[in-house]
Amino acid sequence: MKLLEKYLPWGSAILALLIALFMALPTGKARGFDVGGFANLPILEGGRVKPLDSLARNSLLVIHSRQGFRFEGRTIGPDEWILDVLFRPAVADQQPIFVIDDTEVLGLIGAQQKQARNYFSLADMAPHLEEIEKQASLAQGKKPQARSRFESAIVNLFDRIYLYYKLRNTLQLTETPGLAWEIQSLGTPEATTRHQALMERAHFRMLPPTAAMGPDSWQSVGQALAAGNTGGPLHPGLIPLAKLSAAYGAGNAEAFNKTLGELDVVVNQLKPEALGHATKETVFNRAQPFFIGLSIYFVAFLALCFSWIYKPETLRKTAYALLSAGAIVHTLGLAARIILQGRPPVTNLYSSAVFVGWGAVILGLITERMYRKGFGTAVAAAAGFASLLVAQNLGTEGDTMEMMRAVLDSNFWLATHVVTITIGYSGTFLAGAIAIAYALRKHIVAVVDPETDKALTDMTYGIICFALFFSFIGTVLGGIWADQSWGRFWGWDPKENGALLIVLWNAIILHARMVGLIRERGIMVMAIFGNIITACSWFGVNMLGVGLHSYGFMDQAFYALTGFIASQVVLMGICYAPAKFWQEKPHGKA
Amino acid sequence: MIKTYALQTWKFLKSLQLTIVLLALLMALVVMCTLAQVDLGTVGAVNAYMRSFFVWHQFSFLTFPVPTFPGAALVGLFLTINLVGKTLEIKRTWSKAGMWLVHSGLVILFAGEFVAGMMQVDTNMTIEVGQTVNYVQSYKNAELALIDVTDPTWDEIYSVPDSLLAKGGTIAIPGTPLSVKVKQYFPNAELSNLQPGAPASQATAGVGPSVAVVEKPLTSVDNEMNQVSAFVEPLAGGRSYGTWLASVALGAPQSFTHEGRTYVLSMRLRRQYLPYAFTLKQFRHDVYPGTDIPKNFSSLVQVMNPSRNESREVLIYMNQPLRYEGKTFYQASFGKNDTLSVLSVVENPGWLLPYVSCVLVSLGLLVHFAIVLRRSLKRRQDQKEA
Repeated sequence: MKLLEKYLPWGSAILALLIALFMALPTGKARGFDVGGFANLPILEGGRVKPLDSLARNSLLVIHSRQGFRFEGRTIGPDEWILDVLFRPAVADQQPIFVIDDTEVLGLIGAQQKQARNYFSLADMAPHLEEIEKQASLAQGKKPQARSRFESAIVNLFDRIYLYYKLRNTLQLTETPGLAWEIQSLGTPEATTRHQALMERAHFRMLPPTAAMGPDSWQSVGQALAAGNTGGPLHPGLIPLAKLSAAYGAGNAEAFNKTLGELDVVVNQLKPEALGHATKETVFNRAQPFFIGLSIYFVAFLALCFSWIYKPETLRKTAYALLSAGAIVHTLGLAARIILQGRPPVTNLYSSAVFVGWGAVILGLITERMYRKGFGTAVAAAAGFASLLVAQNLGTEGDTMEMMRAVLDSNFWLATHVVTITIGYSGTFLAGAIAIAYALRKHIVAVVDPETDKALTDMTYGIICFALFFSFIGTVLGGIWADQSWGRFWGWDPKENGALLIVLWNAIILHARMVGLIRERGIMVMAIFGNIITACSWFGVNMLGVGLHSYGFMDQAFYALTGFIASQVVLMGICYAPAKFWQEKPHGKA
Repeated sequence: MIKTYALQTWKFLKSLQLTIVLLALLMALVVMCTLAQVDLGTVGAVNAYMRSFFVWHQFSFLTFPVPTFPGAALVGLFLTINLVGKTLEIKRTWSKAGMWLVHSGLVILFAGEFVAGMMQVDTNMTIEVGQTVNYVQSYKNAELALIDVTDPTWDEIYSVPDSLLAKGGTIAIPGTPLSVKVKQYFPNAELSNLQPGAPASQATAGVGPSVAVVEKPLTSVDNEMNQVSAFVEPLAGGRSYGTWLASVALGAPQSFTHEGRTYVLSMRLRRQYLPYAFTLKQFRHDVYPGTDIPKNFSSLVQVMNPSRNESREVLIYMNQPLRYEGKTFYQASFGKNDTLSVLSVVENPGWLLPYVSCVLVSLGLLVHFAIVLRRSLKRRQDQKEA
């Protein structure tokens, strides 16, 4: 038992890291087909070269909200799914991947809400496709903000069906016998029309540029066929692709795996660095460091909660060790994104959530080293878990490593302004989280413990100073960036205003404490309010749909934000409840 | 007695309590301004809440608007006084050096915002590929231009700003025998074809007689322009040349001839001529491969300045403006199938102030935190030793 207590903390951390490592290992073959090898092939989509695996995962997330589904008694992952969509459309059409939650949309396709989530295949929806398209085109005439719940849901469903339809028609037209037949039919009367259709429907380009073309001119199958139709040389990747399609459709795993080797050789000849880059990204995709990190933070938080009732010393150390393991996985994930993308850590809303969580965890680790009371660990684990959960939800909207639009295409400003302001968010959230811990503790722990209270107040105060520093510098750097790109330092744009509010609020807290207007509890209540301000400035301004910074309207998130604000108001009330509510508790109604 | 009041006022003005109240008011204003942008547009909301001394509200039961809240200009003014007063009060010791730097940096930041609010001039330059342009034009202010086009190699331009037109009356054009009588001025109007049977137009010459003009309220919504229009009557040598309709909404040139000299009459966005000229040599609109996602916009411009004997090429692109002769030229927009580039032009004498402030405040905070950290480390050391 003594031995267990001695080795539990670091043993559990090492175990967590081993699990994380295990996730990154390649998966086996599906039905004998090397689906992983196929998904590792590089493609051009959304302006960047990535493995097909990334596209498969992101598309399945968009369509299905998860990266896998059950079909005919087996779990089908993204790599096998994309092969079915590309080469066995008749099977893919039967797979129940479209998730529909909205009751009115369910009514439209003649189904009822049976459970929390309803899954449908394209075949299920086939009789209603025309109606879905009609309703969606009606709703698309309106601005996203003006759409009703039903209209948003129907547009969303239509977009997902359209994405599926494009994927299915990227390498071969569904209504034709396949790519091999298409190559044989080159030069026949109706070939041009089909090539045109293939080009229009293609969602990605799979054929690397040949020496005769520019370095970025990847080709879609339709483009390559059109080039071959006019008598030019056939792209060397077309024949292997056609063979792969035939082998996969016929269920011939051996031929498929052999031809895959041939295609690898072609890709390696034409674009030697692309395959290596794609392999790295595939490993990153498989490892899912942020999902693993989220899970480890969750376990760390549980361990710490148990430490309050059982074996306090050991479990507190275990929680700290687990938090450190989570932080390592989280950090490696961030580093991998930076390397893969060639960009600073924060480039969009998704990565800002990942980074805010990382900042809070690192700050929490430092606080725990300084005070060793377990609060740093608890708060950091909770903050890390919450922000990675937010990130997971934001990540279902598509490629999280999308290309940066013109004005954002500046690594210098992304590295300075965006990173500092995001650290400011982390600090404000962490201060708020400690304040919440303080408030709850006041009510749960009966013993009056001024020393711990003082330590928590010091932590919060210190972190608010830290947050003020970074949010102020970040805001001013943002102004300077705006001066460089739009010609004015400050324009009262909603996002700028949001950043300013965080600065002002933190400044008010510090000044109010200096005058003596607030002490312990006052600081804590104000720190919790800081959570509301930060959340509004982070996500709320995107919902207004005005200004230069509004990169996307999110209707779903509106309810989440409202709920969050309400919860913080309640916590402020709990924190501010007078002493009699908590001091007399142990004695009951004496 | 007066002295004590003055002292008390000064004490109030520099108190930290006032700081907190002012910061809270500013927060409230920022929130209101942000929400108001949905309806008013950015410019409208900023003018109502930020660039005003009071926020005015028109109650339905009153005939005049009443101030309901202090505007950010007023709050900013008090905050500046408060800040200066407080800064002067900070002890002049090394331990407070950080705070000194931070607060003087803030004073400079506020000053920068005031300078920008008062003195910044925003204009733009629209050039097509191959074209040479030697003026910038306003986004919203208009002018009535009379252009003497008699000499085919040289245009002599006389212009009357819209602020002068708004006053009405007869305006003599210096340097010419002409004067212009303003018959009616519209800050914003909608022009349409005059329907048969509608009352006749005031205009007697040019395209005016076939156009109906309806006055519209001024708009402040982003991306909407006021269609400044006016009925004007050129007079010269005791005779009238008829009443003309001039409007920024009209494209066709209108002209008349007086004593052998031909004048083109037009209402256009106000221009400021420059002692130098830009020629657009190339405009690029790069996208990421296989997508429509813009990667970069850039304008290759030949800058020609005879007074400085200068002629050189400059590439203006995203995040890389050209600062030249007190003006800054930014890549702002494009059009006409990527053959036209719009550069926005900003003239702000205080543009450097935020940079100075940023350096001062960052430095100040670092110094202050270093001092505090040293003090707390020393205290811990003392505790250990005790």
